[in-house]
Amino acid sequence: MMRGIWDRETVALLLLAALMPLALAWLWYGGVEAAGRLALTLLVSGLWHLIFMLARAQPPSFAGALTALAVAMLAPEDLGIFRLVMGISFGTVMGELVFGGWGRNVVNPATITLAFLGFGFPAAPWPDFVLPVAWAAIPAAGLGILLGVISGRIIAGALLAALLAWAIPGGAWPASLEKVLPVAWIGLVLLVCDPVASAATRPGRWGNGLLYGALIALFATGWDGGAPVQITVSAALLASLAAPILDEAAIALWRARRHRALARKTEDTSWLT
Amino acid sequence: MLSQLMQAGLSPNVRSAPLTGGEPVEHWTEEAAVVPQHREHLRVDMVVREGEAVAGGAPVARLRDHPEIALVAPMPGRVAKVHLGPGRQLHEIVLFRDAGGDMRRHDTEAAGAGDGSALRALLQDSGLWRQFRARPFGRMPAPDAKPAAILVMAADSRPLAPDPLAMLEARGEDLMWGLAALGHLTEGPVYLCQRSGPALAGPGAVEGRLRLLRSGPRHPQGLAGHQLHHHHPASVAAPVWDIHAEDVADLGTLLETGLRPALRTVSVTGPALSEARLLRCQDGAHLAGLCHGLTVPGPHDLVSGSALDGHRAVWLAPRDRQLSVMTHHHGAPRGHWFRNALSRAARPVPLIPTAALEQALGGALPAVALLRALSAGDDETLAKLGGLTLLEEDLALADYVTGAEPRLSALLRGALDRIAAEEGA
Repeated sequence: MMRGIWDRETVALLLLAALMPLALAWLWYGGVEAAGRLALTLLVSGLWHLIFMLARAQPPSFAGALTALAVAMLAPEDLGIFRLVMGISFGTVMGELVFGGWGRNVVNPATITLAFLGFGFPAAPWPDFVLPVAWAAIPAAGLGILLGVISGRIIAGALLAALLAWAIPGGAWPASLEKVLPVAWIGLVLLVCDPVASAATRPGRWGNGLLYGALIALFATGWDGGAPVQITVSAALLASLAAPILDEAAIALWRARRHRALARKTEDTSWLT
Repeated sequence: MLSQLMQAGLSPNVRSAPLTGGEPVEHWTEEAAVVPQHREHLRVDMVVREGEAVAGGAPVARLRDHPEIALVAPMPGRVAKVHLGPGRQLHEIVLFRDAGGDMRRHDTEAAGAGDGSALRALLQDSGLWRQFRARPFGRMPAPDAKPAAILVMAADSRPLAPDPLAMLEARGEDLMWGLAALGHLTEGPVYLCQRSGPALAGPGAVEGRLRLLRSGPRHPQGLAGHQLHHHHPASVAAPVWDIHAEDVADLGTLLETGLRPALRTVSVTGPALSEARLLRCQDGAHLAGLCHGLTVPGPHDLVSGSALDGHRAVWLAPRDRQLSVMTHHHGAPRGHWFRNALSRAARPVPLIPTAALEQALGGALPAVALLRALSAGDDETLAKLGGLTLLEEDLALADYVTGAEPRLSALLRGALDRIAAEEGA
C-alpha cells in the first residue's frame, strides 16, 4: 500500500550530494578553467540524455551529472572542445544510454569515456591534482557510506590492498606507487564505487575493492611512464569489468556454503534442490 | 556476526496514534463474512442457505475438490447473503450475528490421543486448517499433504503489528498442547520463532523436535519467509508450512475443551485514526465495524493487513491480524501526458543497489541478484537463490524502499505461478 521515495533519481541525487565535497574542492583549486570544463561536460551529457528522451522515451537522469563531474575532473587536458565532446558522447551513449539508461548499464560511462580518450589520444597530458582535493574525497566517501549509496566494503577492500602494498615491501610504499595513491583514491570514490557498475554482493564488493587496489599497485610498479590518472582509469575499467564475475563467484560460494550448513543442520538433504 | 544478523532490517515508520498497552478489548462486529485470502481461488459447495441460522464454528460451505475441508461460521448467527462467482468460486458469505447463539462443540478424543488422521480431520472440520500456509506458492495445504517442517510464528515485525508474546501470555499450556499436536502432522522439525525473552517452549517439546528461533526487532526479521530462508528453505518436493502462534494456542484449546476460540487479537492502527486500538474480534470481522468512531473526518481506505503488505478489503482476511486505516488519495494526480508516457516507457524501473535495498531483504540473501532475476523473469535463478521460500509479503518492504514499478511482490507472484504451473503443483 505505502511506497517509499528511494527510486533511481533519489539515489542519483544522494550520490551527487555525497560527491559535493570532492567537486567543490576541485572547483575551488581549479578555478575558472575547471568550471568551464564542468559546464561543457554537463551540457554534452545533458544533451545526449535529452536526445535519448525524445528518440527513445528514456527518462533523463541526474546520473548524467555524475558522469559529467567524473569526466571533467579526470579527462586529459589540452584536448580541445571537439575531442572532449566526442569522447563524452561516446562514453555516455555507448556506456549508458544504449543499454536503457542508468541502472541498466554494465560499466560506468565515465570510465568508458576516460578510457576512450586515453587510448584515442595518448599524447594528451593527464591532469594532476593538488593534495587537498584527494583529502576532500574522504568526506565524500564517508557521506556516501552514511547515506547508503556507496558501499563501504569496496572502499575497505581497496584500503586493505593499499595496506598490503605498504606492509609487504617492509613498511613503505614504493616511490612510484606513492605518487599514484592520491589520484587512485579519487578514482575509487568517483569511478569504482558507482553502485550500478560495481559488484553487488558482499564478498564480491570486497573482491572488487581488492582487485582495484591490486591493479593500481601492479600498474604503478610495472607500467613505465604511466600517468597517475591513466593508471587509475585503467584499473577502474578492469575492476569494473570483473565485477559480474566476482558477483557470480560470490553467489556460487554462498550457495555451496548454505547447502553445507543446512544439510548439517537438518541432517536430511532430501529437500535440497 | 550474530548480533549483526539480529540487527539487520529496517524499521519503516507508519504514522499512527500510538498503540497503548494493556489488555485487548473484546469486540464482536455485528456482521462478519467468510472470505478467501487475497487472490485465493476457492470453489465451494454451500452447506447452508441464505436466511438459515448457524452455530458459531459450524460449517457453512465445503471445498468442492476436498469436501473434508470446511469453511466455518466465525460466530453464531444468520446467513445474510451468499455471493459466489462463476464456477461456484467463493466471493463472500455474509453473516449477521446472533448474540445468544451457541458455539459448535467438536469431539476431540481421538485427535487428543495422538491419532494423526483424526487430528487432520479435526483441523479441517474446525476451519483451523485454513490458518496453515504452505511454501512454496503460499496456498492452503492439500488435506493429505505432509510438510517437511512447520514454522510457528510467535514474532511479527510488521509495523504496528500486535505483539504475539502478549497474546500468548496466559496461554502457555494451550500453546504446548498445540505444538505437540503439530508434531503429528510432520516428521520433520517444528520451529518456533520468537523475539528475545524467556523461551515459550523447552527443547524437549514435540518429542524433542522443537527448534527455537530468535528474531531481531527489525522488519523483515519477524516474517516467516525470512526465518525459513535461513533455517529451512522450502522446495516443491519438501514444502514447509507456517502458522501463527495464536492459532496454535487455539488448536490447543480446541483439543482440550472441544471449543475453538472464536476471537483473535487484531491491532487497529493507521494515519486516518484518532486513536489506535488493540481488539479481540472474530474471523472475517467487518472492518468498518472495527474502526467505527475512531476515524478522523474525511475519506479513508480500510486495509486488511499492515500498511506495507495489506490489501484494501471490506472483511478481515483469514490470516491477518492488523487493520490499517489509511488516508484515501484520489488516485495519483494526473500529471502531464509527456511525463506519464516517459515513466510508463521506462518500466520495469531499474533497481540501484543501495544499503537500504539490502537491508529490506534482511541483509543476508544476495538481494540484488535475487531482485534482478525477478525483474528479468529468470525463474530458474530465482529458485536457486531461494525465491521458492518467499511470498509476496516478504518483498513488500523492498517494494516500499525502492518504489519499484511494477511491484516486486507482484513479479514474485507471477514467477511463483509460472513455476507452480510448470511443476504441476
